[in-house]
Amino acid sequence: MHFKVRAAAKEDCKEISRMIMELAVYENMPDQVKTSHEDLERDGFSPNPFYECLVAEVPDEHKTKDGHCLAGRSTCGHVSVSGQRQPASSSLCVGGQDTLGSSTRQVKRLKCCPNDGYTVVGYALYFYTYSTWKGRSVYMEDLYVMPDFRGKGIGTGLMAKVAQVGVEKQCVRLQFSVLEWNKPSLDFYIAKGAEDLTAKEGWHFLRFHGQSLDTLAKEAPKD
Amino acid sequence: MDRFKLRKAEPKDVPDILRLIKELAKYEDMEDQVILTEKDLLEDGFGDHPFYHCIVAEVPSEKQSNNSPVVIGFAMYYFTYDPWIGKLLYLEDFFVMEEYRGFGIGSEILKLLSHTAVKTRCSSMHFIVAEGNQASIEFYKRRGAADLSLEEGWRLFKIDKSSLLKMSSGPKE
Repeated sequence: MHFKVRAAAKEDCKEISRMIMELAVYENMPDQVKTSHEDLERDGFSPNPFYECLVAEVPDEHKTKDGHCLAGRSTCGHVSVSGQRQPASSSLCVGGQDTLGSSTRQVKRLKCCPNDGYTVVGYALYFYTYSTWKGRSVYMEDLYVMPDFRGKGIGTGLMAKVAQVGVEKQCVRLQFSVLEWNKPSLDFYIAKGAEDLTAKEGWHFLRFHGQSLDTLAKEAPKD
Repeated sequence: MDRFKLRKAEPKDVPDILRLIKELAKYEDMEDQVILTEKDLLEDGFGDHPFYHCIVAEVPSEKQSNNSPVVIGFAMYYFTYDPWIGKLLYLEDFFVMEEYRGFGIGSEILKLLSHTAVKTRCSSMHFIVAEGNQASIEFYKRRGAADLSLEEGWRLFKIDKSSLLKMSSGPKE
């Protein structure tokens, strides 16, 4: 299947946000996603971006047929003033007024789904880090391809482009993290020469989050 | 030890920062893995596109008659991004020289980093610790840190430059 990998544009943030949620569902942690596509737009496309992103696109003839908005939801519907959910259809997707039979009702747009399927089917989100031992590095935070488009080289294509960007920026290595139960991903990365540093050198990820971060911050010396 | 001071690192601190990086690597039994030079640190931290930020801890020198300060600790950090929660502060290196430990300098550095994280709208401060480094793990856990490798099963991977070059020059789509 022919596909194209390109740098994400601000307009892609809604699609990226959709796929971030799909990846979180796959990792069994959907309730941990707090960012909106507006956050992604602000944080990735301002003068001082905090990440860079690549998207993988397929031509229109290969786009998805079903138009799912969020993983797990089977319809994307609009809710009428009376509160009754209406099934998705192209006639309702314009929002505003809806005429059904002889009556006209105000229809509130619940979620705007494209009427036709998606062409953006994968993404890789990464940023630059720094190793005090080796210097510039690139960290791939997310790599995701929609289930129907796996096994066609798209994940490899996305990762190769991240590698290319890293090499151009004189990065000495690419790092990322994988959940220990995620065997398909572990196999995918090891086949490409990845080393498990948690197994080999005993590195563990730690964090201060929420309350623990706030508590420490309050005790900081005043400026 | 009530006369230490924490401040933002300046270009003149680069030789001290490299000295401390090597001391930390030695503490982790990986001294031969440091290939970074003072020139790299200067360009990468104080050039047009800084890849890191640094705080240093200094104390008045007892050996010099004018008591000019000596750098005895540092923390290097940068900003990363979690698509689920947004901006994060990532703590790359954190070290206080052995003879200056136990005086609260490390704690004060950690508090300043946390304050920086909150001030810059970061949701979280992340870092990695080798599981053999029990003293450091205890230091962090006492202050409320969670071990995500144990709690959620995250494993750190790397791909080195030779494999990166191979991947980036692979067959085009």
